[in-house]
Amino acid sequence: MMDRKITFKSILWLLTGIWIAVSLARYIRGLGSITDLSDSTPWGLWIAFDVMSGVALAAGGFVIAAVVYIFHLEKFRPFVRPAILTAFLGYIAVAVGLLYDLGIPLNIWHAAIYPQPHSVLFEVAMCVMLYLTVLFLEFCPVILEHPWFNRLFYRKLHKALKRITIPLVIMGIVLSTLHQSSLGSLFLISPDRVHPLWYSPVLWVLFFVSAVGLGLMTIAAESLFSSWYFGHKLRVDLLSGLGRAASFVLFAYALLRLADLALRHKLDQALNGTWQANLFLFEIFLAALLPAILMSFRRIRSSPAGIGISSILTILGVIGYRFDLCIVAFARPEGVSYFPTWMEFAVTIGIVAAAILAFIFIVEHFNVSRTMHEHKGDAVEPNVRPRSSFSPLSLRIPMPESRSALRRYSLALIAGAAFAAAALPTDVWQGSPLLSTPVTSPMIMKGSLTNNSLSSKSNTYIINLHPSGSADGETDAKQVLIIDGNRNGRLVVFPHQFHRDKLDGENSCVLCHHQALPFDQNTSCSECHRDMYLPTDLFNHSVHIARLDENAGCVECHADPTKTKTRENTRSCAECHQDTILRGFIIPLKEESVEYAEGYMYAMHGLCITCHEQKLTEEPDRYCRNFADCGTCHRDINGKYFRRMSPYVAHKSNIASERNPAGAILSRPDYEN
Amino acid sequence: MTVRTGILIDTTLCTGCDRCVEACKQENKLGKDLPRRWKRNIDDLSSTRFTTVIQREGNHFVRQLCRHCEQPACVSACIVGALKKTAEGPVIYDSAKCMGCRYCIMSCPFGIPRYDWENSIPYIRKCTMCYPRILDGQIPACVEACPEKATTFGPCDELLREAHHRIEENPERYIQSVVGENEVGGSSIIYISDISLGFLSYNPNPGAQPLPALTWSALSKVPPLIIGIGGLMTGIYWIVERRIKLSTKSLHTPTSKGKKGNE
Repeated sequence: MMDRKITFKSILWLLTGIWIAVSLARYIRGLGSITDLSDSTPWGLWIAFDVMSGVALAAGGFVIAAVVYIFHLEKFRPFVRPAILTAFLGYIAVAVGLLYDLGIPLNIWHAAIYPQPHSVLFEVAMCVMLYLTVLFLEFCPVILEHPWFNRLFYRKLHKALKRITIPLVIMGIVLSTLHQSSLGSLFLISPDRVHPLWYSPVLWVLFFVSAVGLGLMTIAAESLFSSWYFGHKLRVDLLSGLGRAASFVLFAYALLRLADLALRHKLDQALNGTWQANLFLFEIFLAALLPAILMSFRRIRSSPAGIGISSILTILGVIGYRFDLCIVAFARPEGVSYFPTWMEFAVTIGIVAAAILAFIFIVEHFNVSRTMHEHKGDAVEPNVRPRSSFSPLSLRIPMPESRSALRRYSLALIAGAAFAAAALPTDVWQGSPLLSTPVTSPMIMKGSLTNNSLSSKSNTYIINLHPSGSADGETDAKQVLIIDGNRNGRLVVFPHQFHRDKLDGENSCVLCHHQALPFDQNTSCSECHRDMYLPTDLFNHSVHIARLDENAGCVECHADPTKTKTRENTRSCAECHQDTILRGFIIPLKEESVEYAEGYMYAMHGLCITCHEQKLTEEPDRYCRNFADCGTCHRDINGKYFRRMSPYVAHKSNIASERNPAGAILSRPDYEN
Repeated sequence: MTVRTGILIDTTLCTGCDRCVEACKQENKLGKDLPRRWKRNIDDLSSTRFTTVIQREGNHFVRQLCRHCEQPACVSACIVGALKKTAEGPVIYDSAKCMGCRYCIMSCPFGIPRYDWENSIPYIRKCTMCYPRILDGQIPACVEACPEKATTFGPCDELLREAHHRIEENPERYIQSVVGENEVGGSSIIYISDISLGFLSYNPNPGAQPLPALTWSALSKVPPLIIGIGGLMTGIYWIVERRIKLSTKSLHTPTSKGKKGNE
């Protein structure tokens, strides 16, 4: 019994640890690095599950509050506190999930100070914010009943909060109705993107009804969990009552959706066999009508198994509805898809795990499930509050079951975090990576070179390849085009036909060959192979250490162990990796390009003045007015005369060195008037 | 009085030279386009490219940019009012207010707004019709750069007249409609073309209804709902409470607090 609890909690701590490690990556590197979101799919798993479904899962709070406090169905009172707690934690989880999904989470409070009443999202945000406050106030009495708060001030507070229960409950119902339905209204603005089977002008009604059904079944699922985990007695009679109500609501939901489609003459689309139609049918029949039918039988809804299966089906169905609307049946440009990364899943699962841990902690330490006594004279004499099963002494320190359990939880948390940190893709820490356009690796070719007729002055060559072994390869010679596409002196084999096929045949010529432009202004390779000039580090030192027998292998590369390990006295890669050298390379490398400068004065004027002028126009406030005037540089110490500038004179030691053999041009700066 | 301005794009004149893109990049200091996971093509609209020229089969070039709708879905969606439709026509963005909910991207029927996915503090990026330049009395950079006069800037009503005029003069040259005149309530950027421009929006034939009206139909029900549900719940509570009180009284039960705690 105890073991099962500890194992379960350890797993939750593990998931929480994974979540924490992924969170670091998300906040340091941003959404693009760990999610699969894109401009075509701006809302993904975090909105569909953490927000849309999270709010619906927490609907039990207001439903049960209404049933018990407003309709006075007192027999359901045992569900009130667990349901309020579930709702409270659920909404906190929604808020936490939002902090992950928002691009700039620090600005979340802007919703309150920059109201934009035409936005549905604004209405949702305000309602959720207020409802979270209401839930907190509704749940406060449970915390204040704890012996820790047995002081006059807290007792008065408790009494005051009890007194405003009914107004709070009514407020909670109003706020919940509004935002549960408005989550559906969010999609009203995308009639062109939501699939017609899901889009409906009454989305808000459907969202509200489905949320009520789901809320009821979440309470049932939560009591099943409590009875499994805490060993609380299962009130099958009450669960059966919940199931009956949920059955009605789910029937209403399914019929509303079908009737809405029928009224708008879209019902035939549900039967046309596309995957959307099948998904819709699955959602309606397996995940809404089936649990509704199951729970209409007293025998099924009175058995824990029956209620369990029905609640799983309902949860699947109603969450599925939100997922389909938000992601699956939401149109994207062709060829774009979205599937959440494992990091997105880790955050979602981690938030849920942490919420369950918080739920367990609160149920273990506060009077959540024993609600039968809550109205009997409490707050009048709090010291004698009937709390038979609670011993204040044992509650002083909220410690886990034992020291060893504590150790296991910490271990699970750290292990989870370490595992996740290790599993994070390396590019997460480098920011979002650029996509690479793969090219083939170097190869050896033998053949004779012919200059292309076109390319007397350009960078294109053709090799006649001789198949190896045949001395006279004229008959089956193959021609290979070699170009210096980047005009940087490096020639590569260019599979012309392959590029043509890959880039859409005849129409692709203009992508590289600009017919009207000079030959050397063709598109360079790096225009498409954009990663070509990005800095890369191919050398993996640790792999080399491992392959070359650890320490003994140092001298394999750092040849002279007596010298410091510098680049100069380390062997080059090609000495071992000989297949990377193009042997028999028959094309002469380009001559070193000679750059022509107009002379020192022109060069300096071109360099300095251009930039000075540009800076002055860009940031006029930052630089002085005459920043680009002649006198700015050509000014002598007295400020009277123009100073003639001379070439920079290096340090004495430099003059002597080989690098400046022409010492003649180096002279002291002269300040001629 | 400020004149509402817009841009008329005549796709039959466009040669796809990309000068508008270059001018836009220079004006907005956008930098290089890099290959990223969230781009389908390197020359997709992106946070570094506010306008792009799409080539359609048969050498037709269509410039894509924010439509600056008359009743923009993105503006109505924005939770903090960071997006704004100005009197001059452009839809502009205030990054200081934005919290990054990306509802504007969800709501745009043309799929225009782009996000800085690569940054840890990302903003929405899209064409602003060079609003600062318009305030200065200049014309947008892309219009200025166009060598073929395929894109013209001016007051919206004049542009519309010009568009209809061109179609009437050369009826065989154009499709007989001005794209952007009525779509989703009209927009400041209008097109005349010889090919169908349905590929520019998610729905090839967007209706004439402005999208904000759709959400407003639900939002306008909020105040009555608050009063209705609040009143209903209070009423039910009061009635049920009273009936319980009466029934307990008639049973001569001494407790006056209803039938609470009867277990």
